[in-house]
Amino acid sequence: MTATKLDMFEKFKENGIDRNYDDSFALICENMEIQIGQGRFIYFLDPNYAMDTTKGARYENLTPAYWKILDRGLEQLKYPAEEVTNSFCKSCNAVLDSLILLIRRVEEKLDPCDSHREKQKIWLKRMRKCPAQSFEEAIQRLLFVNQMFWQTDHRLTGLGAWDSYLFPYYESDIQKGNLNKEKALEILKDLYRILHENYKYKSNVLMGDTGQIFVLGKSEPGGGYVCNELTYLFIEAMKEVQQSEPKCLLRVNRKTPRELLELALASITTGIGAPLLANDDVVIPQLLEFGIEEEDAYEYMTSACWEPLIGGKSVSQNNMTVLNYLKALDNLLKRERLENIASFEEFISVYLIYLKRNLRAVKRVLSSLRYQYDPLLSVFMEDCYKQKKDASWGGARYRHFGVTSVAMGDTVDALFNIREYVFEKKKCTLYDVKQMLILNFEGKEELRKELKERPSRYGTDDEDVVALVNRITSCVAEEIDGFSSYQGGRLKVGLSGAAYMDAARSFGASFNGRKAGEPFTVHISNEDNDGFTEIINFVSELEYGSARFNGNVVDLMVSPDFIYKNWEKFVDFLMICIRKGFFEMQMNVVSSKTLLEAREHPEDFPNLIVRVWGFSAYFKDLPREYQDVLIKRALKNEGMPS
Amino acid sequence: MRKELTVTNIQRMCFHDGPGIRTTVFTKGCSLHCPWCSNPENISGFLEPYEKDGKAGIYGKKYTSPQLIEILLKDRDFWEPEGGVTFSGGEPLLQADALQELLVELKELWIHTVAETALFVPETYVRMVLPYIDYFIVDVKILKDSFCREVLGGDLELYKRNVQHVYCSGKLGVFRIPCCPEYTFTEQNRELLLKFLMQYPEIPVQIFTVHSFGEKKYESLKRPVWRTKGVDRQQLLEYCAQLGEYGIKAEVIQI
Repeated sequence: MTATKLDMFEKFKENGIDRNYDDSFALICENMEIQIGQGRFIYFLDPNYAMDTTKGARYENLTPAYWKILDRGLEQLKYPAEEVTNSFCKSCNAVLDSLILLIRRVEEKLDPCDSHREKQKIWLKRMRKCPAQSFEEAIQRLLFVNQMFWQTDHRLTGLGAWDSYLFPYYESDIQKGNLNKEKALEILKDLYRILHENYKYKSNVLMGDTGQIFVLGKSEPGGGYVCNELTYLFIEAMKEVQQSEPKCLLRVNRKTPRELLELALASITTGIGAPLLANDDVVIPQLLEFGIEEEDAYEYMTSACWEPLIGGKSVSQNNMTVLNYLKALDNLLKRERLENIASFEEFISVYLIYLKRNLRAVKRVLSSLRYQYDPLLSVFMEDCYKQKKDASWGGARYRHFGVTSVAMGDTVDALFNIREYVFEKKKCTLYDVKQMLILNFEGKEELRKELKERPSRYGTDDEDVVALVNRITSCVAEEIDGFSSYQGGRLKVGLSGAAYMDAARSFGASFNGRKAGEPFTVHISNEDNDGFTEIINFVSELEYGSARFNGNVVDLMVSPDFIYKNWEKFVDFLMICIRKGFFEMQMNVVSSKTLLEAREHPEDFPNLIVRVWGFSAYFKDLPREYQDVLIKRALKNEGMPS
Repeated sequence: MRKELTVTNIQRMCFHDGPGIRTTVFTKGCSLHCPWCSNPENISGFLEPYEKDGKAGIYGKKYTSPQLIEILLKDRDFWEPEGGVTFSGGEPLLQADALQELLVELKELWIHTVAETALFVPETYVRMVLPYIDYFIVDVKILKDSFCREVLGGDLELYKRNVQHVYCSGKLGVFRIPCCPEYTFTEQNRELLLKFLMQYPEIPVQIFTVHSFGEKKYESLKRPVWRTKGVDRQQLLEYCAQLGEYGIKAEVIQI
């Protein structure tokens, strides 16, 4: 395969000169292998024909404007000859011609004597020229767009609000008598299966990290909640197929029907950890404040995990880099003249200075990024098309950068420990702290244990903790304000991040008893909490304004028994949580016993799904260290020694 | 000086101790000594040193009403519409004096209150708190006079008068029976339970098996552990059905 890949890169050259985008794209459509499975839908990827990725940063983690292909054919997406006024228009038309050519190739492959194939053939033919007519046909179109994004190396391609896009077709089919709920459920299950098929190829850093996420339900201005039968069916189908892929995010607000929440909880409780819940009542005001237009804010989707994104209109790269809150603390201890710091207040002020320095480095890196020409993406981005401007030229309506973060929990705990040990009880000096951390607590095991065993303060509703976290994030908000990328994009941050393991692996010890290399706190979580109410109180007091909305996930570890035994009250609890105002919430519903058994005997648990970062994955596919973190958290949550 | 309530634990987000989502305050001190007790740290009314996994600590902490209220109110938003604060123990009514003061303040804040009690306390204690408690969870245990006195150390007549008193107030929410094969779930006691419950046919009943979850706490107090295998679920369900035949609404719960 590597050999073929190399061949392919050779193919992107003509007489030693790089082919341009249009030619490369044509090359893919002309040559990629077409595979037609037995299933209801046609969907194939040919890993031997990925896009050339050597010409700048590649857009990823985006959701295209799928809807554009529903009410018209590919031909109608082309610019009419008289409107082809620049090279971008030419590229768009070339891309669409190539897509049409690929569709023709597929049509030729379909056996005309098979009635199912005949139906598919009609779908494809119509996709070239006219609007979609039926529910299944509409899904086939969305799948085709999705497949082409993967094929051209747009990693973590999101799915978006398919319950909204597809509803008119569903409704019309029902009215015509061609469809009923049961049949629609079967169709959606097939959709889930086909999107799951290539999950290994699609996975990014970890198996299951594919960014394939349906964003279901929504709010309307005025606070009403909008959902339809498909919203339910999408969750029902996910619950029934029991795969890690694709997953759902359910947008909720205080008016979300109880029965929809119950269905979501039923799905989560099967262990698949999805849907993740995003609270519109909290998210949308932040988007509006940031300057997202109202019509867009109410239609938000998310990037791969949880960063709000305006699908089909935004090329914001929301997962650009990770801010490690401990880094600034570490730098402070290593570089500052510690004897000059006389009080905790002063210490925090110095910490914030170091934090700002780190952010400046982040800004420098981001401002120098250039993106590569991407007409396929631009065809499926509303404003690029209208303005005749490629995404890489700044054609999309929104083009911001987002940063995720890790180790806020460790930082807050370490800071409170420093306050107590150094400034209040004077048990040690800052130099002692520095030395202990450098030596990875060598010879100080007792103190390390003492620190480690203290209940974590991050994620509690202690006023001091909330105030400190808000103070730190305000400082970040202040520093990123005014950033501008070459396309005029701004910067956003959030309090969750996928790198709690990766960033921690090579990071030294911290003054919360964490030894070098041990993982950081997972998102916003605290298994030492007295009850989940505590962390909900905490997150509802956090400030998400001033660009601090780039994903803020509360991550709960819940034992299945706890939910099953208290079903009604747990649903009440969720409804109250929404009113209280969490930003986003995900749950791992699994017992430590199951996890421990699955770690020892993976063969007995081939389908055990758990929640990692913001995606679901098969437990067996996870590296041991990720498995261990989940087990440890489950044990703690159940009140057992870990 | 403000009155203080001796508390061993404040448990947030409880689903079992009354209507809605609640915060449960476990008070220290009990008038009984049930052999199956799973909260031995709540029996003595005094602060008690213990040692667990090589670490020393003290069971019990004294709180004034404002101190407790500050902690309790943190979860107020989760109590809507019917949740609130539950007092359990130990025997919460034993500290009627301090409890009354706290309850008055909670009622001023319109907070729903529940007492989970065995009602083996002087009648005056019941009278003191009755106006401020909205809902009683009342334990029903051994109902043979001599046996009750001998095993639990309780005066059954007093109990029965208190139950009647609470019942007449209209605040008796539910009876709760800890089922222990050696004491409360014997054939004789089951018959007595039935007779007793039939006097209050409209009051629902919750039954559950006792367990040995308190073992570690007994060890931490250096007290002998009393072990029981409990009652299996099937038997509990059968008993529920039997009570049902007499018009008593019973359910099996897990605690």
